[in-house]
Amino acid sequence: MPITNDMKTKNLTISMGPQHPATHGVLKVVLELDGESIVKCTPYVGYLHRGVEKLAESMTYLSALPLTDRLDYIASVCNNVGYCVAVERLFGIEVPERAKFIRTMTCEMARISSHILGVATHALDIGAMTVFLYSFRDRETLLDLFEMLCGARLTVSYPRIGGVRNDVTQEFLDKLYAFTDTFPATIEREYETLLNENRIWKQRTIGVGVITAEEAINWGMTGPNLRGSGVFYDIRKFAPYDAYDKVEFDVPLGKNGDVYDRYLCRMEEMKQSNRIIRQCIEQLPKGAIMAPDAPKFTLPPKDRVLADMESLIHQFVLITKGPIAAPEGELYASTEVPKGELGFYIISDGSGKPYRMRLRSPSFVHVSALPVLCRDAMVADFIANVGTIDIVLGECDR
Amino acid sequence: MIKKMAKKLFLLEIVKAMGLTFRMMLTRPVTRQYPDEKRPAFPGFRGLHALARREDGTPRCVGCGLCSAVCPSRCIHVYTSEGADHRKIVDGYDIEVLRCVYCGFCVEACPYKAVVLTEHFEYSDYTREALFMNKDKLLSNWDNYMAGAKGEEYHKRFWRPMSEDFKAHDDQAVFRGAKQKELSNAA
Ligand code: SF4
Ligand code: SF4
Repeated sequence: MPITNDMKTKNLTISMGPQHPATHGVLKVVLELDGESIVKCTPYVGYLHRGVEKLAESMTYLSALPLTDRLDYIASVCNNVGYCVAVERLFGIEVPERAKFIRTMTCEMARISSHILGVATHALDIGAMTVFLYSFRDRETLLDLFEMLCGARLTVSYPRIGGVRNDVTQEFLDKLYAFTDTFPATIEREYETLLNENRIWKQRTIGVGVITAEEAINWGMTGPNLRGSGVFYDIRKFAPYDAYDKVEFDVPLGKNGDVYDRYLCRMEEMKQSNRIIRQCIEQLPKGAIMAPDAPKFTLPPKDRVLADMESLIHQFVLITKGPIAAPEGELYASTEVPKGELGFYIISDGSGKPYRMRLRSPSFVHVSALPVLCRDAMVADFIANVGTIDIVLGECDR
Repeated sequence: MIKKMAKKLFLLEIVKAMGLTFRMMLTRPVTRQYPDEKRPAFPGFRGLHALARREDGTPRCVGCGLCSAVCPSRCIHVYTSEGADHRKIVDGYDIEVLRCVYCGFCVEACPYKAVVLTEHFEYSDYTREALFMNKDKLLSNWDNYMAGAKGEEYHKRFWRPMSEDFKAHDDQAVFRGAKQKELSNAA
């Protein structure tokens, strides 16, 4: 049929999600389409809202810890550590060296398992299924290690305010070290062979979802998404917490700020995480795993609770009322989680419960930058863009 | 230039990747056929709850209520009353297993080693009632999954913090250098 000028077309509005498999959870995006190209993209969030910030106000500092597991459930240790670091800084608790190394080690394990899953699902969405299958094999090793360490695979609740829950065993260290021996080679031999040079993968990712360094900063992007645009910003380097100032690692940077560069950044970050884990194991000192000088914040030793009165009182007061000796004050502390910068803003009013706990979650910021990435994009590129910002809706909706 | 063209023409990277997938076909599968092939959980796995017994068989729980106070999901309910000799009697101890988040805080809060999380994780059921644990069910969980040496071992490792966690001691795990290398090569 010949196209005549008086034929009327209008834009089509469709709703992607909240149950679209490629939206990584329950993200709803309303797309306005002109044929195949996206005219307007509006993300709607909040389907997974559980009111974590509000819930924390009714819990003691101790009991609020498991709430943070459920933010970015792919890398829950990182969230736990973020929360603990914030509370420790607020109350001036000094964490023992050994605990710092253990935390750094577990955080990097979580970073690997998060990036591996992020890249794998991203590749699956674009159509490269093999990587997805292989990735679960390596992730399983890490999850098993978490289980060996603390009895849970995903929502570990392993760090504690002032230290960690229990000590690492020799078997755990040996197994983890064995994993780090082979993991970088696995990345190169398998993942990179499958993706890096693959022409389909390159065509779907190079030049797609471009965001310039300036725009990325303006939109508040952090983590690999920002570094993919070539901005050197990593909290582990700029404001080191735990043992990050004692280990050596590089921060990979991209150039073009497209999907492909962000993918390369993630791959390189996994290798760097692997390096950090090795250094942590090699340098792991003997020592306390709980801050000994913070009896008002950490549970007293169990063998003393029934033997001496003071410990018993501490135990009861800490659990029922929270650390009532907590000084007043407010503080913002940020940590580098796999997705970007996770910040906790905590106000203490001197009671045992946080007066206010505000979360700065990277996924939320990244979702809001989705319309920028989808400028002049096709519907198929939208899927690539959702994959590349690597969001977890639990953290976005809180 | 020619090399580049040849690469393009002969789909070199695709061939390489295909080679990898074909090689993978010859390796042993890593998938576990779950219901037929079970992997035992690691010691200290945070699974179904149990109430511990003393050596003489009486429940350890004294009804202090710390576990229900610390529980982030508020799923433990302890009911107590005053006995004839003014001692506390634990009339009821319920855990709503469906609401539990398996953080293990109850284990850490209890001063009497009375509540534990067992390694049992296959307890799905069709009704809510079946997953509402009362005192008797919790005690029988102990008998089934934790009694004896296992429970002792569990408490030794996971009933924390202990005094030793607050200072350095000799049998802490550290990097074993060359020996570790050997081990990892063997693994
Ligand atoms: S494991 Fe955590 S959520 Fe479950 S009953 Fe114990 S304290 Fe409550
Ligand atoms: S299980 Fe332990 S903490 Fe809970 S009421 Fe009994 S003795 Fe107290």
